[in-house]
Amino acid sequence: MRGEYDKVLLTVTLILVGVGILMVYSASAIRAQEQFGDPSFFLKRHVIWAAVGLATLIGVLGQDYRQLQRWAPLLYLVAVLVLILVLIPGIGTKVNGARRWFRFAGLSFQPAEFAKFGLILYLSRLLARKGERVREFKDGLLPPVILAVVVVGLIALQPNYGTALVIFASVGALLFVAGTRVSHLALLGLGLAPLVGLLLAQAPHVRGRVLAMVDPSQASPRFLYQLNQSQLALGRGGSLGAGLGDGMQKLFYLPEPHTDFIFAIIGEELGFAGAMGVLALFVLILWRGIRIGLKASDPFGCYLALGITSLIVIQGVVNVGMVVGLLPTAGLPLPFLSFGGTSLVMTLFGVGILLSVSRCPPAYQGYLRQRGGMR
Amino acid sequence: MKSSFESPSRVRIALLALVLTTFLGLVAWRLYSIQIIQHHDLGTRAMGQYERRIPVASKRGTIYDRHGRALAISLDAASVFAHPGLVQQPRATASRLSQVLKRPAREIQAKLQSDRPFVWIQRKVDPERAEVVSQLNLPGVGLVPEGKRYYPKKNTAAHLLGFVGVDDRGLEGIELQYDHLLTGGSQSFLSRVDALRRIIFREAEERPVGSDLYLTVDEVIQHVAERKLEAAVQRSEARAGTVIVMDPVTGEILALANTPSYNPNAFGSYPPAFRRNRAVTDPYEPGSAFKMVLAAAALEEGLVTPKDLFYGEDGTIEVAGTKIRDHKRHGWMTFRDVVVFSSNVGAIKVGMKVGKARFYNYITSFGFGVPTGVDLPGESRGLIRRPRDWSRLSLGSLSIGHEVSTTPIQLITAMSAVANGGHLVRPYVLKAVRHPDGSIVESRPLPVRRVISPETARTLTSIFTEVVKRGTGQAAGVAGYSVAGKTGTAQKLDRQTGRYSRTKVVASFVGYVPAEHPRLAILVLIDDPGGTAWGGTVAAPVFREIAQEVLPYLEIPPVPARDKRVARRPDEASSRVN
Repeated sequence: MRGEYDKVLLTVTLILVGVGILMVYSASAIRAQEQFGDPSFFLKRHVIWAAVGLATLIGVLGQDYRQLQRWAPLLYLVAVLVLILVLIPGIGTKVNGARRWFRFAGLSFQPAEFAKFGLILYLSRLLARKGERVREFKDGLLPPVILAVVVVGLIALQPNYGTALVIFASVGALLFVAGTRVSHLALLGLGLAPLVGLLLAQAPHVRGRVLAMVDPSQASPRFLYQLNQSQLALGRGGSLGAGLGDGMQKLFYLPEPHTDFIFAIIGEELGFAGAMGVLALFVLILWRGIRIGLKASDPFGCYLALGITSLIVIQGVVNVGMVVGLLPTAGLPLPFLSFGGTSLVMTLFGVGILLSVSRCPPAYQGYLRQRGGMR
Repeated sequence: MKSSFESPSRVRIALLALVLTTFLGLVAWRLYSIQIIQHHDLGTRAMGQYERRIPVASKRGTIYDRHGRALAISLDAASVFAHPGLVQQPRATASRLSQVLKRPAREIQAKLQSDRPFVWIQRKVDPERAEVVSQLNLPGVGLVPEGKRYYPKKNTAAHLLGFVGVDDRGLEGIELQYDHLLTGGSQSFLSRVDALRRIIFREAEERPVGSDLYLTVDEVIQHVAERKLEAAVQRSEARAGTVIVMDPVTGEILALANTPSYNPNAFGSYPPAFRRNRAVTDPYEPGSAFKMVLAAAALEEGLVTPKDLFYGEDGTIEVAGTKIRDHKRHGWMTFRDVVVFSSNVGAIKVGMKVGKARFYNYITSFGFGVPTGVDLPGESRGLIRRPRDWSRLSLGSLSIGHEVSTTPIQLITAMSAVANGGHLVRPYVLKAVRHPDGSIVESRPLPVRRVISPETARTLTSIFTEVVKRGTGQAAGVAGYSVAGKTGTAQKLDRQTGRYSRTKVVASFVGYVPAEHPRLAILVLIDDPGGTAWGGTVAAPVFREIAQEVLPYLEIPPVPARDKRVARRPDEASSRVN
């Protein structure tokens, strides 16, 4: 019954984690020395989180993902709970004007990273149970949308628009592949558009970042600076890069070099070749993730695989899009590569679920062929 | 369960994958644009923000005299600078620097808060304080080694050497003329900085080293010249004075002195007039010394022989309505004696014979009206008008050295041409350059042109010898040596009246020794001596005093005078009557 897991996906994951460890060290060593007197301050923590993440991955890989179906509502509730808790002053820690973290005993935990997987789990269960009914509006589409809006709304309140955007897009993608009517989705989009507009108008820092994208001359110098330094890093790298460790932009020129903007450091030190390599690895993740979804033995596994893959790849796309200047800057880690414990562990947890799904044989393949794979 | 499994649409999945890969494709295209197409531009801009140009004075080369005696050296010092943008706490930084540098904190703080990317806090700090500053390890503040120029011989050769400004760039003299050699290559180096604080010095970066210069000047001769000039100017209560000692054959300047002078170690505390190198910058009317050119022209053109007779008109001649007088009343005299006794009347008559065009040709041929090309800054060309601009008086005036102005360096160069047998040479000061790699490049004498034949030069030398033996220049005579030369006493133009002053003169003597095989050409110029003074009385003695000391120093043996006979009478022989 239990088959082989997807070795390609695991290999790609391990490569990405390895590159992440290397680049986090390169990008953070001088800062770490400056701030903590220890060049490997961030490296040590990153390696520990990677180990925890890989342990989680192996643990999940060995389990039957279908057990998650039972736990999904509970996980969702916990996610909403922690998202509410983090908003309460004194419990959540405010950094740079956003209340996104729990901090205790030198560790920090970002509930949004956990919540997005909780949401995807619950939606997968919901969609799997609804089956054809997702084509209906009230009974099919509305419940998952309400579940999603609660999570996305709470995250937007922190505020953390980057993660909110990624979750919103991932949920949209999942509903789309699940077979909801395009007209319903469009209606939903139209309904949410004023809300997004209101959000942009109210949050000055978001407006500034969007402006920096649209009309650089109107933007505040701070956002331009980040955008500019990111491009300088990439541009300096050229085709083959300045060489691992030889980046200059991490010397306090580029803000967040080891977290949100690690892709810029990769571009600077490893060049166009290195950056394209990372993009290629994300394409591989996308391919393997979809493949696993299509071969899944049940709808829950299928939606789970597609949802998690969407989450990871969309977040990757948004992050690199922001680094290269295609999207407004938003605080968002690059999955696998950025420094940040919760993100890394949760991403590897997600990959663990994907691998677990990949182990179940494609029992429904015949059915697919019968339907012609079309709709 | 499995039979009811509603599979997701493959088309929709494909669409999703397509959207995501399209987005990744956009990112890839964007990366290509940034990293490949704009690589050069962005890389340059990125470099621009890491690199700060730190001005660094190279170790300036030493200036030696011809025998390797140091005249200008660079001592090690350090200068404190700051990159205001990188200074974190201007107030605290300023107060700490203020304690070490003993400068007002407010002044330093103002510098630290300036808009400029780079400011000097203090130049040329002594090593102990520099060490303290470097240990303070203040963000944005740095030290750079710099040379402090020092002239160990103080006033000696001040006008030749010149001086350097606070940024170690030459401002005058050789320091300016050969600044590019002395400084070596770059005047700054690049250092990398991080965005916030530290300047990442590359210690391996070696301080550039300039070339050493060897001058043609001999410190001993220079010292003699300065001492004798200073004494003469004081003795005669003159306004100023100049001495040039030159090798007439090669054009090497052995000494060049001006009074008033200055100490280049403290050049700022002297008025600019003291720092001016009058020997090359100040043209003056040469007066009778210019008869040298007239005599050369007349002899070379075969218009006169030394024995030709001229009538002295009893001391007065009228040219274009202006009366020109001699100091003494002369009757008939040979051409030789016209020069020996410096008769104005005789000279004017010779001038008439030579004529405008020919005289002008010789004047320019001897190098008047154009710079000699000496390797010193600020050389004046003097003034000689074209014949078509001359008045009816001009030919006569020029014959006695008026209506023409010449720098001392031009006059001694012209006289050297007579001394060396007829070649005009370019005077020069730089004898050799020793480059940092140890290679030595020597300057070569540069002959400009032949101006008179060796025969004419010989004849002139014999006449100039008699100037010293029995004429106006007797005070220049050095026992045991044959000296040739010509005196000059030019009335100065009174700026206020526009007429020649009766009391203010420029007295000069220009000559060479030994006359037959000259080793030294010496020009002495005394500007505005007090009382009644002529070239023969104030300038000629200085020539003697210098020659007397320098000849033995150069081990030039005295020649037992070939002929003791003294030709005192000007009417020894005559063939033609003028």
